[in-house]
Amino acid sequence: MTQYIGSGGAAPALGRRQEAGLSAWAERYFRWLIALPALLLILALSVYPLLFSLWVNFVNYDFDIPGHDFVGLQNFVDVVSDPNARSALVVTAVLSVINVAIEFVLGLSLALAMAKTFRGRTLIMSILIVPLFISPVIVGQSWALFLERPFGPANYILGEILRHPVNISWLTESPWYYVAIIIADVWQWTPFMFVVLLAGLAAIPPNLYEAAELDALSTWATFFYITIPQLAPVILLAITFRLLDAVRLFDVIFMMTGGGPGTATYTVSFYLYQVGFQQFHLGVATAGSWIFLVLLSVVIWILVRRLLRAEKS
Amino acid sequence: MADAATRPLRIRSRATAELPRILCIAGFVIFVLVPLYWMVVTSIKPTSDYLALPPVWFPAEPTIVHYTAALFSYRGLDGLTNSIIIASASTVLSTVFGTLMAYSMARFNTGSGHLAFWVLSQRFLPPVATALPLFLMFRSWHLYDTHVGLIIVYTVMTLPLSVWMMYAYFRQLPRSLEDAALVDGLSRWQALWMVAVPLAAPGIVAAAVFVFVAVWTEFFFALVLTSRYAFTLPTVFRAFLGFQGAQYGEACALATTSLVPSIVLGILVQRHLVRGLTLGALRG
Repeated sequence: MTQYIGSGGAAPALGRRQEAGLSAWAERYFRWLIALPALLLILALSVYPLLFSLWVNFVNYDFDIPGHDFVGLQNFVDVVSDPNARSALVVTAVLSVINVAIEFVLGLSLALAMAKTFRGRTLIMSILIVPLFISPVIVGQSWALFLERPFGPANYILGEILRHPVNISWLTESPWYYVAIIIADVWQWTPFMFVVLLAGLAAIPPNLYEAAELDALSTWATFFYITIPQLAPVILLAITFRLLDAVRLFDVIFMMTGGGPGTATYTVSFYLYQVGFQQFHLGVATAGSWIFLVLLSVVIWILVRRLLRAEKS
Repeated sequence: MADAATRPLRIRSRATAELPRILCIAGFVIFVLVPLYWMVVTSIKPTSDYLALPPVWFPAEPTIVHYTAALFSYRGLDGLTNSIIIASASTVLSTVFGTLMAYSMARFNTGSGHLAFWVLSQRFLPPVATALPLFLMFRSWHLYDTHVGLIIVYTVMTLPLSVWMMYAYFRQLPRSLEDAALVDGLSRWQALWMVAVPLAAPGIVAAAVFVFVAVWTEFFFALVLTSRYAFTLPTVFRAFLGFQGAQYGEACALATTSLVPSIVLGILVQRHLVRGLTLGALRG
């Protein structure tokens, strides 16, 4: 009997072979039957829409113009020649890199600070992870409320600290709207970096630190020669995950600036939303989303390949 | 003599090492709590306190008028009901289908790794890329602005999360008990439902919570695929955009209502947080 165990479900147990029919069939294809619902759902609602949108790329799909005539590369030409599209790409890239960089530095400092156990650590952990469970819409809204005058207390608090009146229009004044967006993003996602890096720190074998202590390494030397190299795979993982989410930036923009003033804070997602769902140039927006997807795939390919290589070594 | 000379020095060096640590932790705790506190306190503030200087941190006469206004005048209650229905249904579907697929991949190596990575890659797909065609498809399939439509979309959206969390969980579980059940004459279905699922229950609960929170907080698909009928709680906040009429209290009341369930759930599954955030790539 034992030879069937773990044989991949292809061979049913001897005693059951007689009761042929449905149950034997279900037993034989068990591994595929249980994977099927999820597989079909993803194929129907993720792969099929993407294939459908491949067709939309090359036809007229505009609520202003009836019919779906073949237009060649016109949709791509429209999106590439739109200066708003290009500036949205730049804003997305720059904001993502700044956000992830700040979140990484703050998250790592916080993880190092929280690595040792102390009284009240559990409570502080619970507080620090709260932003991860809040809708980005609410994050954007509550930071808008906190910062924007005349209602928000931010200018008043800054004025008290700096001892002279502060009068910043956080959501409409350059460059403060970028700062406001970065603050909201850093508030929400630094805990992600922190939690992941803390788990990475906890996994470093303690005997490495004992050896460093024996060799009388300084704190900085220990950090650079032990902590960072040991943590490298986790750092790569955290940055990959975070960066791929950061480039989607939409909800905070929607709530805080609405892409404004003008189009200054348009990100790629916000631009595509405007073109597709507000102006209903769906063909152009689809072409734009495919360009974004291809650019993103390059980033994913580079990062995930590194990630896999780091995991192997 | 040497002792007396070194002791104060050592204390000072420890204190200088501890101070940045404490400042770092305290600074971030304040950074996290202050805007949250401001939001909660604004939700119970009388309107006359809105623009007071210095800002009112402890309202003398707290009120619940903003809550009733947000829930009944701004259709917050409808959004809340829709969110509960849609998030619960997609949590059940995603967790059940995700657990099944994960079990197949973990125990039978279905798809030999390729399937797993294909599912993972779905996680990194930008929502805007699928939302555009889904919008067009849903309009012709009469799924636009329906509960069912959004439930299906959220089930698919969260499948990478539930599959990968459970994939990591099942790989950690020893298979010897399931093998013993098969020797005892149980079918594979019985081994799954009577042995593996009860053993994996803590992991399944954690995956379900992460799926629920992901759906509860989602905005983009709800914004694009619903309008007047199946709208969820996050989309109700559009009413407060630009804060015309200065509905600060109502906005804060609705935000407070929305974040309480997800924070409570999140803190309950704190132990599984790292697995949830990294889709099981890191154990934590």
